Amino acid sequence: MVTLVQVVVSGLLLGGVYALLAGGLTLIFGVMRVINLAHGEFLMLGAYASFFLFARLGLNPILSLFLSMPLMFGVGWIAQRVLISRVVRAPLLTSLLLTYGVSLALTGGAQATFTNDFRSVPFLSGALNIGELAFSVPRLVACVTALVLTGAAQFFLSRTRWGKALRATAQSADVALACGIDIDRARMVAFGIATALAGAAGTLTSFLYTVYPEMGKTFMLKAFAVIVLGGMGSFTGAFLGALVLGVIESTASYVTTTQIAEAVIYITLLAMLLLRPQGFFGVKEA
Amino acid sequence: MNTRTRRSILAGAPAAFGLAGLILSACGGDAGESAAPAAPSTGGAAKGAPVKIGASVSTTGSNGKTGQYQVEAYQLWAEQINARGGLLGRPVEMVILDDQSDPTVGTKLYEKLINEDKVDLVLGPYSSGVTQAVSTVTEKYKYPMLSAGASASDIWKRNYKYVFGVYSVAESYFYGVIDLAKKNGLKTIAIINEDTVFPKATAAGTAEYARKEGFRIVFQEQYPAKVTDLSSLITKLKAAKPEVLVGGSYQPDSVLITRQAKELDLNVKMLAFSVGAAMPEFGEGLGKDADFIFGPSMWEPSLKTKGNSEFEASYKKKWNRDPDYHSATGFAGGQILEAAVLKAKSLDREKIREALSTLETDTVLPGKYKVDDTGTQLSHIPVVIQWQGKDKPVIGPDAMATAKPKFPMPEWKGR
Repeated sequence: MVTLVQVVVSGLLLGGVYALLAGGLTLIFGVMRVINLAHGEFLMLGAYASFFLFARLGLNPILSLFLSMPLMFGVGWIAQRVLISRVVRAPLLTSLLLTYGVSLALTGGAQATFTNDFRSVPFLSGALNIGELAFSVPRLVACVTALVLTGAAQFFLSRTRWGKALRATAQSADVALACGIDIDRARMVAFGIATALAGAAGTLTSFLYTVYPEMGKTFMLKAFAVIVLGGMGSFTGAFLGALVLGVIESTASYVTTTQIAEAVIYITLLAMLLLRPQGFFGVKEA
Repeated sequence: MNTRTRRSILAGAPAAFGLAGLILSACGGDAGESAAPAAPSTGGAAKGAPVKIGASVSTTGSNGKTGQYQVEAYQLWAEQINARGGLLGRPVEMVILDDQSDPTVGTKLYEKLINEDKVDLVLGPYSSGVTQAVSTVTEKYKYPMLSAGASASDIWKRNYKYVFGVYSVAESYFYGVIDLAKKNGLKTIAIINEDTVFPKATAAGTAEYARKEGFRIVFQEQYPAKVTDLSSLITKLKAAKPEVLVGGSYQPDSVLITRQAKELDLNVKMLAFSVGAAMPEFGEGLGKDADFIFGPSMWEPSLKTKGNSEFEASYKKKWNRDPDYHSATGFAGGQILEAAVLKAKSLDREKIREALSTLETDTVLPGKYKVDDTGTQLSHIPVVIQWQGKDKPVIGPDAMATAKPKFPMPEWKGR
């Protein structure tokens, strides 16, 4: 019994990291209907930012978020302004090709600039033991940080003026424009926030995993699965979907094997698409 | 009136994400001709048309990091042979491509090297998976190939005549570790590995040898490449209570296993990883948590093999970093090819094949180069290293040891 609870705890902690990444991805899709295949590479850039700040200046990765998130916001803002804005109204395939190109360019650029060396941020290790349960300290810190950032983003979207502008743009760009909302700017804000969240996910993964140029790809398929589970464009849905996916992954790994768990994830995803394509938090299309 | 909510606007999304997933997996690994031929560095007395030696090595993709060492070694070898007057008096020109760690791309690139670039000779790619695929191409065109970056014994179980091993087969990587465990009276072992060619071979060989040596295998499981969480696997390991834990793993998963073992307080008396542990980054990434961890190494800088200190010094000078054992196996591949060409006294590939199958020569690697009828390397001797503080001294076999093994690994809580 304790073991099973332990497995669920591990799954929840894992889900926290997926949530941050998936949150940004779902935001971009919600506001622009663009699927950002370069999202994993933004995670990689965030991880490198934290690695260099840690390695050169000894900066605590959590504190480095205050530097890296504004920086990544800027990166996202510029990416939207220069590249993505050109394909927002184009067919889906166009934006897929563009963001795939961006993904390749960023990976290649990182290989050329940062080399293929495996980097690590030896920041936290060990576990917090409560009774017989072990809570991984780095994963707990990552999960709590993810929770705080997701909450902040959710607050921004639902309570602030810019958040409302973003949601209005998501609902109907034309009507939002007619109401006097600067939709181009709203899209830049959306892409900026999403990129900053991906960067933050990178910071959190930097001390959980090894940092290298191709690390983003490891997480992207999981992020897509999370979004399908949680409901498209729904921020809360992404968070819930991430936790559910984490628990499914760790439980399936425990009951069967880690190899089979991988298949279980995709079978869940397929089942969800067949039975409830709108996800947990979606509404059936009329 | 149409009152579409934001949610309903987004309801078409699942199909779109499914499509995105498909594209991701479809685009995962193709189009790999980021070709960057190495500039011919002519020096010494080498004259005439260059001898073109082709290789495709993973310098991007999941094995890019390790493959880079091999490329650097090939280039260093070419530079040195040219400084010595070339191969049979002709300068050597390396044509090095990148297969992006993808076996399919690798086979295309060796086709290209042989048919389009018209290379005279080839050297092997990095990783067992790529080498296994590529050797079908080199076999077809009768190009002898030294597999300077691969060790899964399956490569030599197909009756191929043109592929030759440079270092010990993957199956034997942990023999030294098992021997040490046996010497210390340990009885139970758990084996986990990534489900790709080389780690699988390592795990299979370890299991067979451990059984033969009287160990009881209390747990064995595989995990997929690019795994993000091994906590469930570790939880199961804890229940199995092995005395020895062996991971058929690469660097990122070795670090992940160690971190999660500490988090979940999995304590074993001996912990060993196949590729990850011997790399300097392993210690950098884990700090003092790397202490006591064992790993097999095909080469170490401290070894007193022929030309080893010169190799290490020239490598550092040219590439401004320490060589890894993958650098040494790459360099040894060049050395063996050179010896075979000299023995054959010709660039005739049949004669070189003959030479490679009977040759016995020293390289920078411990032991010798000498293969059996199948091309399997038999005379190379892998060593065992252990992380002790910031160093990873050789602790076995005894004749080459520079330090005594520290045993057993203390429990995480007391460290």
